[in-house]
Amino acid sequence: MLSDQALAAIAAERRKYPADQARSALLAALRIAQEEHGWLPTELIEEVAQVLEIPSIQAFEVATFYTMYDLKPVGKHKLCVCGSVSCFLNGSDDILAHLQKRLGIGIGETTADGLFTLQEVECLGACKDAPVLHLGDQYLERLTPEGIDALIEQLRGGSSDVR
Amino acid sequence: MPHIEIDGRELDVAAGTTILEAARQLGIYIPVFCYHPKLSIAANCRMCLVDVEKQWKPLPACATPCADGMKIQTRSAKAKAAQQGVLEFLLINHPLDCPVCDQGGECPLQDITMGYANPHSFYQEEKRVVADKDIGPLIATEMTRCIQCTRCVRFGQEIAGVMELGVVGRGEKEAISTYVSKAVSSELSGNMIDLCPVGALTSKPFRYKARSWELKHTPSLCPHCSTGCNTDVQSLGKDVLRVLPRANESVNEEWICDKGRFAYAGLSAEDRGLTPLLRVNGRLQAASWGEALQAAAGGLESVVRKHGPEAIAALISPESSNEELFLFQALFRALGVTHIEHRLRQTDFRADAAMPLYPALNMSLEDLERERTILLCHAFPREQQPLTNHRLRKAALAGATIYAIDTVLRPFNFPVQGLCPETGDDLGTYRRLEELLQGATARAEEGALARLATALRETEDPLLLIGNDALQHPQAAELLRAIQGVATAAGARLGWLANAGNAAGAWLLGCVPHRRPGGETVPGQRTPSWSTAHKAFVLYGVEPEYDSLAVEAAQQALQEAEFVLALGHFTGNLPEQVQVFLPLASWAESAGSFINNEGRLQSYRAAVKPAGEARPGWKVLRVLADHLGVAGLAFNDLDEVQSAWQGALGDFPLDVPAFAAFPELAPEAAAPLPEGHLRLLGDWTIYTADPLVRRAAPLRRPAVCRMHPQDLQARGLGSVIELRRAGRPVVTLPVQADASVPRGCLWLPLGTAESVALGGLQSSCTVGRASSRQAI
Repeated sequence: MLSDQALAAIAAERRKYPADQARSALLAALRIAQEEHGWLPTELIEEVAQVLEIPSIQAFEVATFYTMYDLKPVGKHKLCVCGSVSCFLNGSDDILAHLQKRLGIGIGETTADGLFTLQEVECLGACKDAPVLHLGDQYLERLTPEGIDALIEQLRGGSSDVR
Repeated sequence: MPHIEIDGRELDVAAGTTILEAARQLGIYIPVFCYHPKLSIAANCRMCLVDVEKQWKPLPACATPCADGMKIQTRSAKAKAAQQGVLEFLLINHPLDCPVCDQGGECPLQDITMGYANPHSFYQEEKRVVADKDIGPLIATEMTRCIQCTRCVRFGQEIAGVMELGVVGRGEKEAISTYVSKAVSSELSGNMIDLCPVGALTSKPFRYKARSWELKHTPSLCPHCSTGCNTDVQSLGKDVLRVLPRANESVNEEWICDKGRFAYAGLSAEDRGLTPLLRVNGRLQAASWGEALQAAAGGLESVVRKHGPEAIAALISPESSNEELFLFQALFRALGVTHIEHRLRQTDFRADAAMPLYPALNMSLEDLERERTILLCHAFPREQQPLTNHRLRKAALAGATIYAIDTVLRPFNFPVQGLCPETGDDLGTYRRLEELLQGATARAEEGALARLATALRETEDPLLLIGNDALQHPQAAELLRAIQGVATAAGARLGWLANAGNAAGAWLLGCVPHRRPGGETVPGQRTPSWSTAHKAFVLYGVEPEYDSLAVEAAQQALQEAEFVLALGHFTGNLPEQVQVFLPLASWAESAGSFINNEGRLQSYRAAVKPAGEARPGWKVLRVLADHLGVAGLAFNDLDEVQSAWQGALGDFPLDVPAFAAFPELAPEAAAPLPEGHLRLLGDWTIYTADPLVRRAAPLRRPAVCRMHPQDLQARGLGSVIELRRAGRPVVTLPVQADASVPRGCLWLPLGTAESVALGGLQSSCTVGRASSRQAI
């Protein structure tokens, strides 16, 4: 499933680490695979493991640990709401509930129009501005239900610059 | 040397010693879950937290090295609070199902909770539930009980050498899993059951059979291979319910393989022989011991009268005890029988005179770990001696370079530089290696062989180990001589990987035609075991078709025999020519002793009563001797038999020359294959190697043959093929592409219904695409 380009990129990552430590290149290799394919089906994870010559289960462990790896197809916008302690104490549950209601999907699901995926993730390291949401390469902080509504409208309107 | 103090007791420890190890030296108990002395340190259960002076937080004893002047408290208020806190967290998601959990009564979590937990928990929320996984027929999972100690994951990576289990998910969703519900396939997987400190991984065949405290424990031995692992046979009433390893650092450490652990399931097979049987009007019918013994003696005597005692072939399984082996040969030698044999998996006996006193490893198993350069000669210990293989793996991890020459490449669980000649000319490979060692110039295409020659030459005292497949080779004599040639040219030591549970005992106690107990030579010419010159056969614990290399010859010889007496454990695969069957007690039902690959004499006791009317082999042989009028074998108990064989054998050395002088070997030209035929190669697999394990339902695996991918492609074959051979039923088998199988060959798993139907390895077969997926 991997293109020659992706294989070359993985090989380049592989060369950064000692010969007997292929596992070190796994994070990068999975990222390259996901960037190319959009998400990580089982066969792709297995292929990455084969390319790096490590047991499939090792690649599977890493792919299931990090929420930035998608094991299912995701929508255009992946809304990752932090549920760790600071955000939790500042109402992340309300934010998640509000999002579920507005989008009509549960956590881990994607809207029928393929626009939104909702996820709950672990600490994003922005506790001072809790509750926090992570979207693409942007952080949205001090979330409120009203702010969420505005965000959804904006994204539906076709803009992805939400800063 | 750090000087430390634990609970007020002072101690000097070696640098690098952890607090836990130091505490164990003092006999101070610190509770653990994830720590295991044979595994890497994970420190993820936190159960071993201790209070270290001047440290604000309690430290994990398993992962903290002792520093000079450390003062450690294991039972201070701070340590206790930490232990209680950890247990409270571990129990948050642990179900309260101890009454129905197989681990109950032998569960560290249960025990440590009793000893260290605060009886009150703050937790009032819901417990999490983890989906169960089906990881195969041996290990039952109850993943909600898992405390994520990762002992099983580390075992797979570090000991079994195949990482099959891993930790997937994160946080509350973290769980132990295989890769997308694959089954665990390692031959050491059962040890994960023992390692699991909770009831997450339990034995599937043992599930809900008994509570652990009801079981009777009998120290025993594993009869299945020459490593001689020490086991603990656990039984309830008349049934063996499970077999666990018994720790012996010098033999099996604290592991056993799945064959040794689960083969007991075959003891209660449907075709277990429970009564003596007599053939009446063509059918085997139950008979009394008296009738059966009389018929057995009568049958043998009539053959002796008509054809002389040389017409009897007495064949015994090398998994029999020393006592049985000794009595067997004593009885039949007294009758004048010359063909006494345990080697049914060998067809070329021309090198008999050169064979050693017994197949000795010539070193201790522990010493194997310290070898630097090892060449495995036609050996696949991973399936044939799994715990010996574990020592080789340890050697490899410690930096040894391990080479293997074989006919096909075997899947080892450590790095092996395998040399499998594409042409299938394995004999030529050894001969060429000898030439290279003697200074011949390597050809361009011989790179791997030249590197091996250099490695052998450069290592001081390399080690060559001879495996099962060498003896099974059609030209075993030449092969062995070539191996000896390599050893001499390389200045290497030679050791044997004995090919069956008590092969050492069978050799030492004279169960070969040309040697008496102790190795004294018996002069005379030999006929093959399966020769039509033999008019009577005695089969002791062997199933001729499933345990012989020469299946077709066995069938023919039995066809023409006048009398066949079988003594054994099972009746299912008895040849139809058997006239008398005498049921034997299994190893779990009788006492005895084995000699392992190192020459270590170990004895075992009976765990349960014999099934039905089966009787211990030594008693049966002794009574048969009475019926045959053979004097001098009237032993009254096992001790007398033991003194008799020990007297006859005397002291035997642990180091024996691997070969005596080879006789002149006339060159034998292999018959050319008919056009379009494939040459048959094969070997017994780990779970088809003996009658007991073949009947253990949890260990049954589908038979798969192997061919070179180009041969498959050239013939347009799919994943299932039909094997045809003149005069034989068509056999349908799944086929796997394997580039190490020589071109024009087919690798067949032996000891299977399919290999028997095909008539074994004696000649060749044609293959074709299977018309349907239905197997024979």
